[in-house]
Amino acid sequence: MIEIKDIRKIYHGGKVAVDGISETMDNRITTLIGRNGAGKTTLLRMLSTQLYPSSGTALINGYDIVHEANKIRKIVASIPQEASPLGILSPYEQVNMYLLGRRFSIPDARRAANEALETVGLWDVRNKPSDTLSGGMKRKMFVALALASNAELVFLDEPTTGLDPLSRLEVWSAIKKLSGNVLLTTHYMEEAESLSDKVFLQDRGHIIDRGTVKQLLSRFSGRVRVESHEELSHSFRVGGIYVKYDDLENSENYIREGKTVKKITLDDLFIMRGVDLES
Amino acid sequence: MNLKFIFYFAWYYGIKVIVRGPSYIIASLATPLTLLFVVYVLTKGELVQFAIVGGMITLIASIGLQSAGDATFMRLQLRIQEMYVASEVSPIDYMLSMTMSFLAFSIPGIIVYGFLGSYYHLYNFYTTLYMMFLIFILILSTSAISFIISSMVKHVRNIWGITSILSIIMTVIPPTFYPYTYLQGKLGTNGLIYLLSLSPATPAAVSAQIFFGLEPWNYAELMTMIVIMIVETAVYFSIAKYLTRWREK
Repeated sequence: MIEIKDIRKIYHGGKVAVDGISETMDNRITTLIGRNGAGKTTLLRMLSTQLYPSSGTALINGYDIVHEANKIRKIVASIPQEASPLGILSPYEQVNMYLLGRRFSIPDARRAANEALETVGLWDVRNKPSDTLSGGMKRKMFVALALASNAELVFLDEPTTGLDPLSRLEVWSAIKKLSGNVLLTTHYMEEAESLSDKVFLQDRGHIIDRGTVKQLLSRFSGRVRVESHEELSHSFRVGGIYVKYDDLENSENYIREGKTVKKITLDDLFIMRGVDLES
Repeated sequence: MNLKFIFYFAWYYGIKVIVRGPSYIIASLATPLTLLFVVYVLTKGELVQFAIVGGMITLIASIGLQSAGDATFMRLQLRIQEMYVASEVSPIDYMLSMTMSFLAFSIPGIIVYGFLGSYYHLYNFYTTLYMMFLIFILILSTSAISFIISSMVKHVRNIWGITSILSIIMTVIPPTFYPYTYLQGKLGTNGLIYLLSLSPATPAAVSAQIFFGLEPWNYAELMTMIVIMIVETAVYFSIAKYLTRWREK
C-alpha cells in the first residue's frame, strides 16, 4: 500500500514538479495518467526511493521513503521510463544479474530468470544480444526483470512509450502477469483503461481526479464527444478543434452535419478540466 | 558487499564483452602501445623499460577512467542505474562491479604488457607481486574518480570529452613514460611530483620505477608514494560513496 503525505518536489530553479499530493493507493494495478510534464515520473521516482522529496513523505507498505529507503528497496522494483538494455548482453544475463544484485542465490536467480523470460514470451531469444531484439521485446525484458524479482510493488514508468500497437498489447499482457501490486504511469488513455483497477489523473503537479475507469467514465454516461473545426454552441477549443459534449441520442444529427462524434474515453476527463492534451 | 553481483557483473560486462566486442580492447591498448613505440624510437630504446612499466600503469588507469563513460551512459541514456538505485544494490556494489568489469576487460592488455615486461626481464616474483598490487589499487582509485565524475555529468555527450582529457592529464603527463627524476627540482624538491600525485598514476609510476630498479633505490620516496596511493584511494572511494548522487536530491 502507498500512503502519500503532502509530498512536494521543487527542482533547482524553482520548478514545482509535484505540489503537495496526499493520496492512498492500494489497488492491484494503479495508473497515474497525465500529459508530459504533469509530474508523474517525479512522483514515481520519489516513491521508488530514487529521488528525495523537497517536503512531505510517503509510506510504502508502512516504510517511510525518506528514512527507510533500504527497507523499501527490498520490496519494490522500478523500471525507469525509456530504460534500454545493455545491448551486448542477453536478456537472460541482464535479468540474472539484476536478481543477483537483489541478493537472490545463484540457483534461484537462474530459475527465476528463466521462468520470467518464458512467462513474458522471450524464451526463444533469451540468449541473444539485446540489441537484436525489437522494441517490444526490450520492454518485455524489463517486465521480466520486475516479474522475476517477485517484488511486492512494481513501479513502471511509461512502459509502452514508443511501441507499436501490437508490442503494446504484448507488454500489457506481461504486466498483468506481475505478482505484486503495480503503480504505472502513462499518457496513453487506452493503457490506463486496459490495465488499471484505479486511475489517478495528474496535472501540473496535482492529482485532479481519481477512481476506477468505470467510475470516472460514468460521469459521462449517455453522452458523446462532438468535434468540429468550426465553433459549435457551448463548445470550447482544444488544440485546433472545437469540442462539446452532448447526449448520445443527438449523435446522428451531428454526423449528418459532418461533425465527428466520438465515444467517451479518459481523455475527456482532462478535456473537461481544460487540460489541453495536444499541447 | 554483494560479491555474487560484483562477480557476475564483471563476468558478463567484462569477460563476455571481450569476446563480443574485441575492438574496444584494441582501442584501449592503442594509446599506451603508441606511446611505447614513440618512446622506443625517440630514445633509441633507452627508456623502453620505463615505457613498458608506465604503459601497464597507463593502460589500467585509463581503462578505469574510461569506465566513467559507461557509468554515465548507463545512468543517463540506458537509465539502468535508476533501476539499481531502487533495489538492494548499494553504490559501492555498483561501483565495484563496474570496476571489476573493467579490470576483467583489461586482461588482454595486461597480458601484452606482461609479455613485454618479461621479454625485457622486468619481472621477478617481487616485481610481479608489486605490479599486481598497483593494478588493484589503480583500478580502485581511477574507478572511484570515474564514478564521481559520471555522477556529476548531466549530458552523455560531455563525458566522452571529459574522459579523453582526464585520461591524458592523469595517465600521460605523470611520469609514466619517462623517469620521475626529470621532475625533481621543479616546484621545490618534489613539488611537481606531489602536485601530479592527484592522479593515482603518478605515485604508481614513481614507486614502480623505484621498485623495478629503473631508478636508484629510495626507501623514503617509495613509502611516501605507497602511502599517497593508499590514502588517495581511500579518499576518492569515500567521496564516491558519500558525496555522489546515488539517490538524487
